[in-house]
Amino acid sequence: MNGLMSRLFTIARAEWQLWLRQRLALGALLVFALLLVATSLVTALKASQEHHERTHQQAAAEASFLSQPDRHPHRMVHYGHYVFRIPAPLSMIDPGVDSVTGQSMFLEGHQQNTAMFADARASAELGGFENLTTALVYQLFLPLLLIAIGHGLIIREREDNTLAPLLAQGMTGIQLFAAKWMALAGLSLALLLPLAIMGAIAASQGAAVLASAAIIGLYALYVLVWCSLILLVSTCVRSRSIALGILTLCWLAAALIVPRIAVESASSAVPAPSKLETDINMQAELRTVGDGHNADSPNFQQLRANLLAQYDVTRVEDLPVNFRGMVAQSAEAGLTEVMNRHAEERMALEAAQARFAASFGWLSPVLTVSAGSRALAATDLATHHRFLREAEAVRFDFVQGLNRVHAEQLAYRDDINRNRDRQASRRTRMSADNWKVLDEFSFEPAAAGERIANASTPAAMLLAWLLMLTAIGILAARRMQP
Amino acid sequence: MTATTGELEFLAKDRAALLWLGIALLVASLSVFLGLREVGAQRTVLGALVENDRAEREVLTGLHQDWGSVAYYTFHLTYDLPSDFAFAALGTRDTAPWKHRVRALALEGQIYETDADNPDFALIGRFDFAFAASMLVPLLLILLLHDLRSRERTAGRYELLSATSASAGSPWFARAALRVGALLLCLIVPLLIGGLLAATSASKLALASLVVTLHIGFWWGVCAAIDRLCWSSPVNLTALIGIWLALASIVPATIKGSVEAAVPLPDGGTIMLTQREAVNDAWDLPKSATMEPFIERHPEWAEYAEISESFEWKWYYAFQQVGDQVAEPLSNAYREGRIKRDRLAGRLAWLSPPALVERTLQGIAGTSMTDSIAYEQRVRDFHSTLRHYYYPRLFRDEAVSDASLRERPEFSAMNK
Repeated sequence: MNGLMSRLFTIARAEWQLWLRQRLALGALLVFALLLVATSLVTALKASQEHHERTHQQAAAEASFLSQPDRHPHRMVHYGHYVFRIPAPLSMIDPGVDSVTGQSMFLEGHQQNTAMFADARASAELGGFENLTTALVYQLFLPLLLIAIGHGLIIREREDNTLAPLLAQGMTGIQLFAAKWMALAGLSLALLLPLAIMGAIAASQGAAVLASAAIIGLYALYVLVWCSLILLVSTCVRSRSIALGILTLCWLAAALIVPRIAVESASSAVPAPSKLETDINMQAELRTVGDGHNADSPNFQQLRANLLAQYDVTRVEDLPVNFRGMVAQSAEAGLTEVMNRHAEERMALEAAQARFAASFGWLSPVLTVSAGSRALAATDLATHHRFLREAEAVRFDFVQGLNRVHAEQLAYRDDINRNRDRQASRRTRMSADNWKVLDEFSFEPAAAGERIANASTPAAMLLAWLLMLTAIGILAARRMQP
Repeated sequence: MTATTGELEFLAKDRAALLWLGIALLVASLSVFLGLREVGAQRTVLGALVENDRAEREVLTGLHQDWGSVAYYTFHLTYDLPSDFAFAALGTRDTAPWKHRVRALALEGQIYETDADNPDFALIGRFDFAFAASMLVPLLLILLLHDLRSRERTAGRYELLSATSASAGSPWFARAALRVGALLLCLIVPLLIGGLLAATSASKLALASLVVTLHIGFWWGVCAAIDRLCWSSPVNLTALIGIWLALASIVPATIKGSVEAAVPLPDGGTIMLTQREAVNDAWDLPKSATMEPFIERHPEWAEYAEISESFEWKWYYAFQQVGDQVAEPLSNAYREGRIKRDRLAGRLAWLSPPALVERTLQGIAGTSMTDSIAYEQRVRDFHSTLRHYYYPRLFRDEAVSDASLRERPEFSAMNK
């Protein structure tokens, strides 16, 4: 057994030495390495700069909220607050949807805003492949490199008439396949080294070690899928030219065509209304909740009656709480319930679209690895939704906190007379100490365990691809003839 | 004539070539079909939105008795209709908004809201004709042409073929020309059918066809140049794919990086914060701090600028406007920076034919960055007419009437 392994290893090593001598292979390797290093540096620098900037902006936004002077608490509801999404450490490998989703969001009373200032809206438009990232280089271009240097692994032996002697020396087709596979796989895994380094840097900056390791594992699985495919084609096809044509076609389909077809199919199979459509359609529903600025609105008759009964008084002026504040609280809760229901519906539809598109992973390992990679890097749709939900929780908490101050600390009589004169207006100013109802916001991606669970389906799909292609390859190799 | 027929017969027997041509036809047809479907869907959405938006405004009519509340509660839909060629290049329509609702409050707080689709979709991109023509077609052409000579050389027929033809190179030229022509047909025919279905103007279709033809011509030249180096087919193909990779991705990525470094933009968050601080500070400042800069911009309301109550709607809308005025330098810098980036990228795109084709097709389709910025400007203009409609009513303290409401401006889409 040991003798066999060393024989296989000898063949693999011969292959490596050959690649180092061939100018084409060596040139391609060098160009790829250069591209990878350059892209990685740019991606990592950008991520670290954004991390720095947004951390700073978040702190500034909190400081400016807390430093607001004494004023009517409802003014603070409209003053609002900003939250920024600080990129996860692993986004230096895969920035995912971060560039197309906005990174900052304005939180205020009575409405849910969208995330704003997506990079994509301000960046130069250059055809669709200008957003090179480390992840993209691995997903799209590493397979091309492997195809270029690996398609001839077995065909070359055939074309050079060295296959017959090899088989005659007692080497079986499967052994040759295994040796060549080792050669290509060895090279592929070596090319993952820059990824491993970035994973380690990310881990040192606070990424979960488990998630960093998982992302490297995922890409290892992915490149092995391509190794097996390349070996399979090299075993079955008799001419290098045809093998290269077939592999290029596979790449074209897997990298360029299927992912976009998946998007088109998902968008027609699972139609999701835009936020604007939802906003307009829920207006009628929001009106049944009522406008919290107008305490006299018939929508709050019931609330008035309940409060009067609860405190056993006959006029709102005699309530121990500020009725206007109570209305603001009740209206905010009602509006938020409606808005959240619609937001959740929308997010559920988007998640369903993503799942539908992911099923095309059975046709394209590129689509599969990119979904898994985004999930692990915490730059996927689910993480974006998590950001939206957490931002909403912050919004609701501070708005209701301020409304509570409005209801419990601000006298009703002062409140309704606030516009009478300067003195009256001054009486409605609440102490700035109350602004501490604002919670500190620091967005944390889901725990590594949860992200790994999310990435387990793509990983399983890749494993299935790998096993299937390797099995077919071995079957083909068993019947290998000179 | 017989030579051409011979070449046609040869092509008919070349199964690999037929496969690439078939894929080209399939890809082009599919992209046109999907583009038409997407544009149809966008029109349907807009049709429904326009209807709902109008109905929503009708519900509000009569609900509010003062102009301040009317202006506060009434939203207006603005939108950017897809052009008759948008099906071929959806362009920025998947990341930039093409529908937007505004009201007469400070615009800087509203204009950057983005009602985008599923971000996964925008990340991966749409399968439109521009993508097929700029990215996929060069690869298919490479696959078609890379081994025209080298295959014959491998088969040992090269010398014979070259020697028997009248002039050197001509059999190769005819053979390549036939394949290039066939590929062009596979692209243009679906595009023209799509154009007929979408009632696209002939000039746009002609221009787009010219762009596609030139692009294919460029890649034919590249293939011919590599072919002359007399390498083996696999080396040819590897080199050509390398060139494709460089021109389609590495060069554009470098251009993008340099353009963004050369033209920095003010941070979006800062624009928002500036505007918000200005609007909110107004509450605590003396009324004159708002009214003076407002009157500077709108001297026609000078005699109505006296604010005597602690809250008046005209003052409220004045500080909304002043908030925009304070953020204006930043906002202009942001817009001009984007225009400058786009212009620079447009010039540098000549270094990358695929990017140039994509941009040109987007330009013809009215879906480029320029068009998206132009739409933003139309939203600004509409918002400004809305303000000018409300100001006289607010400042003269007019009563809300149906007749006056009927004069309120409505956004009208521009047909492209």
